[in-house]
Amino acid sequence: MNAPGAPIGLSLPRREAGEKATGAALYAGDMVMAGMLHGAIVQSPHAHARILGYDITEAMALPGVRAVVTGDDIEFRYMGLVVKDETAIAKAKVRYIGEPVAAVAAIDVETARRAAQLIEVRYQPLPAVTTIEEALRDGAPLLHEDFAKYTKIYDAPVGRGNLLAHSIATQGDPAKGFAMADAVVEETYAIAAQYHAYMEPCAALAAFDPSGKVTVWSSTQSIFRTQANLHECLGLPMTKIRCIAPRVGGGFGGKSEATIEPIAVLLAKKARAPVRLVLSRNQDMTAMRSRHPGWIRLKTGATREGRLVARECELWFDGGAYADDSPAVMNFALYFVRGPYDIPNVHCEGHAVYTNRMRAGAFRGFGNPQMTFASESQMDALAKKLGMDPIEFRIKNALPKGARWFGGQAVTESTLVEALETARDRAGWIKPLAPAPLGKRRGRGVAAMAHSSAFLSTGAIVRLQNDGTIAVQVGAVDIGQGSDTALAQMAASAFQLPVEQINLATPDTDSAPYNSGTNASRVTFMVGKAVGEAAFKVRDQIIEHAAAMLGVTRDEVSLAPGGRVVVTGGSRRNAEVSFADVAARSIWAVGGPVTGSSAVMASHAMDKSHTKMSGWLSFEAVGIYTFGAQVVEVEIDEVTGAVEIMRAVCVHDVGRAINPGATVGQIEGGFAQGLGYGLFEDMVFEDGRLANPSFMDYKIPSALEVPKKIECVLIEKPEASHPFGARGIGEPPLVGAAAAIANAVANAIGKSITRLPLTPERVLRAMLEE
Amino acid sequence: MSERVAVEFKVNGATHRVSVPATRTLMAVLRDDLGLTGTKNGCEQGVCGSCTVLVDGAPARACLALAATLPGVEIVTVEGLAQGDTLSPVQQAFLDAGAIQCGFCMPGMIIQATALLTENKRPSDDDIRHSISGNLCRCSGYAKVIEAISLAASRLAP
Amino acid sequence: MTTTRFHAPERLDEAIRLLAADDEARPLAGGQTLVAMLNADLLSPSQIISLHRIAALKGIEKRSDGSVRIGAMTTHAGLARSDVLRDGHRLLAQAAGRIGHEAIRNRGTIGGAVAHGDPSADYPPALVALDAVIEAVGPKGKREIPASDFFQGFLTTALGQGEIVAAIILPPSLNQARTHYEKFARVEGDFATVSVAVALWRGGVRIALGGVGPVPVRSAEAEAELQAGQLSDAAINDAGALLVAASDPLDDVRGSADYRRRLIPRLVKRAIRAAQAKDAR
Ligand SMILES: Cc1cc2nc3c(=O)[nH]c(=O)nc-3n(C[C@H](O)[C@H](O)[C@H](O)COP(=O)(O)OP(=O)(O)OC[C@H]3O[C@@H](n4cnc5c(N)ncnc54)[C@H](O)[C@@H]3O)c2cc1C
Ligand code: FES
Ligand code: FES
Repeated sequence: MNAPGAPIGLSLPRREAGEKATGAALYAGDMVMAGMLHGAIVQSPHAHARILGYDITEAMALPGVRAVVTGDDIEFRYMGLVVKDETAIAKAKVRYIGEPVAAVAAIDVETARRAAQLIEVRYQPLPAVTTIEEALRDGAPLLHEDFAKYTKIYDAPVGRGNLLAHSIATQGDPAKGFAMADAVVEETYAIAAQYHAYMEPCAALAAFDPSGKVTVWSSTQSIFRTQANLHECLGLPMTKIRCIAPRVGGGFGGKSEATIEPIAVLLAKKARAPVRLVLSRNQDMTAMRSRHPGWIRLKTGATREGRLVARECELWFDGGAYADDSPAVMNFALYFVRGPYDIPNVHCEGHAVYTNRMRAGAFRGFGNPQMTFASESQMDALAKKLGMDPIEFRIKNALPKGARWFGGQAVTESTLVEALETARDRAGWIKPLAPAPLGKRRGRGVAAMAHSSAFLSTGAIVRLQNDGTIAVQVGAVDIGQGSDTALAQMAASAFQLPVEQINLATPDTDSAPYNSGTNASRVTFMVGKAVGEAAFKVRDQIIEHAAAMLGVTRDEVSLAPGGRVVVTGGSRRNAEVSFADVAARSIWAVGGPVTGSSAVMASHAMDKSHTKMSGWLSFEAVGIYTFGAQVVEVEIDEVTGAVEIMRAVCVHDVGRAINPGATVGQIEGGFAQGLGYGLFEDMVFEDGRLANPSFMDYKIPSALEVPKKIECVLIEKPEASHPFGARGIGEPPLVGAAAAIANAVANAIGKSITRLPLTPERVLRAMLEE
Repeated sequence: MSERVAVEFKVNGATHRVSVPATRTLMAVLRDDLGLTGTKNGCEQGVCGSCTVLVDGAPARACLALAATLPGVEIVTVEGLAQGDTLSPVQQAFLDAGAIQCGFCMPGMIIQATALLTENKRPSDDDIRHSISGNLCRCSGYAKVIEAISLAASRLAP
Repeated sequence: MTTTRFHAPERLDEAIRLLAADDEARPLAGGQTLVAMLNADLLSPSQIISLHRIAALKGIEKRSDGSVRIGAMTTHAGLARSDVLRDGHRLLAQAAGRIGHEAIRNRGTIGGAVAHGDPSADYPPALVALDAVIEAVGPKGKREIPASDFFQGFLTTALGQGEIVAAIILPPSLNQARTHYEKFARVEGDFATVSVAVALWRGGVRIALGGVGPVPVRSAEAEAELQAGQLSDAAINDAGALLVAASDPLDDVRGSADYRRRLIPRLVKRAIRAAQAKDAR
């Protein structure tokens, strides 16, 4: 490793923890500006309808109302990551219940909300399709009549009704593979829509300056995606759009693309005043995003000896009314069709479908949790059929280092076996569970998982400041996962400086180099890599200056802790200059400001001769796999079917833990979110209407639902391609949690449940049907 | 619109006299009228706990209390816990245990924990879990939050 | 545009006068339901009549006949820790302690909860099982309404225009009973999917269910069966079936009607056994 500096590997508190603990931290919804107005939105009551017109007179007449915005205020300009199909606010049609259809800006929130109720939208209801099956029926009404005309970045199934994406991939010869199988299991797994439930509902503040440039502070995971979306849907050049992320109260994928920023900007423009728009929880739940619901049919064959030989998969995701990330999420799910195993013959087919339901989008795991639930459930079913121990069976099929990933990329490191063995030891797997108390049943289950940490591109700028401290500029937003602290630790390590001497600039499109977003477990890995590379460039320049100042050669000096460069040998041994001395020389005399920048792009060649693929997005920018294993013990109440998680052992390969405390925090939080996904989180849509649009009705885990202890074990095998050895850990802890829980439940009741979530009702039913 | 009602109460030791619409919640008054934005709005339905404040020493949802019904009470918000630059023991423990991630739930969580430790000097992990069960946190999985509260308790113990 | 006016009278008759004169006016107790509804724009009352200053609605007292009178403004937290509620009456404290979360219990009141009439709430089955009486005061004076008559339908009670719940009275008789409140919810702090309140005493059995019908569900046949069968497993099974027949659950996000029906006999048994395990009196 390049830089064995002190701060790496320390569990330093988050840089901004103090301000968060005292309530001083400012989130978008806390910010105020002189003359600021408050926004409110009007949502569609129809799942599908043509907009015939608006009557805003009553709303405008309300004292204190400054502007109303509707589809009439915009042109047909579209935004989106993989399909440009969304306008800033509904125009001409509404496609789901809850879709923002108008908005108002007023002097206070009460007035804005009241005015919103006075806006009249005239609709002509259209037949709606609110399930995958309905959407695909012959003659089903089309959500997007212009789908063929939209800009798309993949080979889309044009002319096939509401089918949004259709991808196929084949590796090896599945028919031959299944012919070799002694045991085959086939099952259909149903998965529910999970709500991100970031604690901060979406919020944005937009303000134009006199030059016509708009600044947007928003609760976002990506200032650059926000900027790009605003540019696309509003037609503003990027020179006129500045996006800034203040403190962000969680995202989990739901704030990766635009949320309500376009509406805030439209309001600010029309009202000629800054506008702050904050969604209520109900609005956030009905207007924003969910994890993809749908179903996965999976068939897997293995030999008597327990070798996996073939797999077939058919996957259907309900993408909702707008494409958002759906094709990518669906592809990513297929990318994990083999799980972390070496299955030589695979055929898979995936579909994403438009329906008249709130859009589904990126969510921690990005399709992988759904696939892993199916795959890991099936692994247990197969192990059972073969009479093998589930962990043994997994180890036997673990993808080794040097193997190829589905798609043909090289697997440069594999810690799966180690993870499984560690989990087995730590959980005491071979010892039988203590017998359950009367009226309860106990079970234990395992899930293995893989995830990727490299994704897309990013840049970093590192500068030496006059006083010898370091400024780091990146476009990555810390959404609570602690990346600011980890990045500062990496930079500090490169310079052997205390972290306090690293200034991490607020993410701002006006000054930060591009970064695609805080998602895909990529910030510590990708942005950390960029920061490291830029820092090393700066370090080299510092050394260059110092050597010249000390009258020695480069090789005779080296960095010393505390911002110094010291002569290490010869007659001038121990002579030194400080970083501040170097900075002074660079800005007043020689060379110019010491600055380093770097740009990194994930690039992992795919191999068509390994896996034949059609209808896919390019996945060359995906790669670097991380592995993990989780063992869960459950206790089930025979009276009610309720499942309690008694124990969870989470073993994860993190490369090098830059900040072990924060890493464990990611694992604990990810497991808890996966626990909710596994046991009770379910956005229930009835004819396109969300039946549980509040935390009263949609439950996420509280402190009483998580196990008393989540035992985290970090496997630290530094990643060779990363300057500090890190690998991403944001998503993996969630990916396998639901599967591990389902397997534990199956172990307890002797029957596997193939539908998420595993509500008490489903568990009781399964127990009673035995 | 609602009739305005004059109320006087104490927030973090300072007396405030405000004239508020009848339907305005304490949360709105704190955040919008007094600029105390530490108290967070996570649901405005009483479920998430991020708006929890102390009303006469007892935890209450600021989003479900109409300001007009609170004349004469003493309110403590997260901004009122630290003494100058010195964090309260509970706040400090949250930092030290690494319990704070996005932080949005934390003002309510810290208030709830403060109330718990006033009532119960030596809470068990189960006491803590029950006490904070009405404060939702989506980031932490609660493990480090529980650790932080135990840590604060052990430091506060005589 | 409605303008919401605010009053916080000190006297009960003043509150009643204001409410009786305006059917768009709403009394406000702890606000844990009412304010949530205001925030969700489900309600826009013309007047909010806050009851928090009315002394007559406060306090819990044991009366000379052994009955307990609970002022409507008593909070859930106050009830849960009250030492006036003893023995069989603990059932109500137990139910109060299971409501929502601490912060909710600190402000929510029994009067507000009872007046709201939510069949999934915790008090209604507990009050029916304890044979409680609701003391309502209105423009025409005071009425005492048995809990089993008070709850009339989903969010519908026997309260008339201008009537206020002034107190809840627990009769002395069931103080001698062994009681238990069993609540099953998706997660702690949620409304019940199904709840069971039981009172067992030498002369009889009372069981009331929450969450399985528009009002708390009772079955005289089931209670007779249990009494006759001396709470044997067989008797509980038969009683469970009778209670299922008497129930009328809905499908909702807390569970399907079918699941609720399955839970009834199971939770009834659990509740009875738990009550039996309490000290015999
Ligand atoms: C997060 C959360 C969780 C909850 N969980 C539960 C739970 O698990 N179980 C449960 O049972 N409840 C639960 N509740 C509801 C809670 O118990 C409320 O406190 C209760 O339903 C209402 O009481 P209140 O004093 O707050 O009444 P308010 O909200 O003030 O009033 C409720 C209604 O009753 C009327 N009213 C109030 N007082 C009177 C009176 N004296 N006479 C006539 N009418 C009156 C009001 O006009 C209003 O219509 C929960 C609430 C929240 C916010
Ligand atoms: S905002 Fe008050 S409890 Fe959620
Ligand atoms: S720290 Fe993010 S919700 Fe608790």
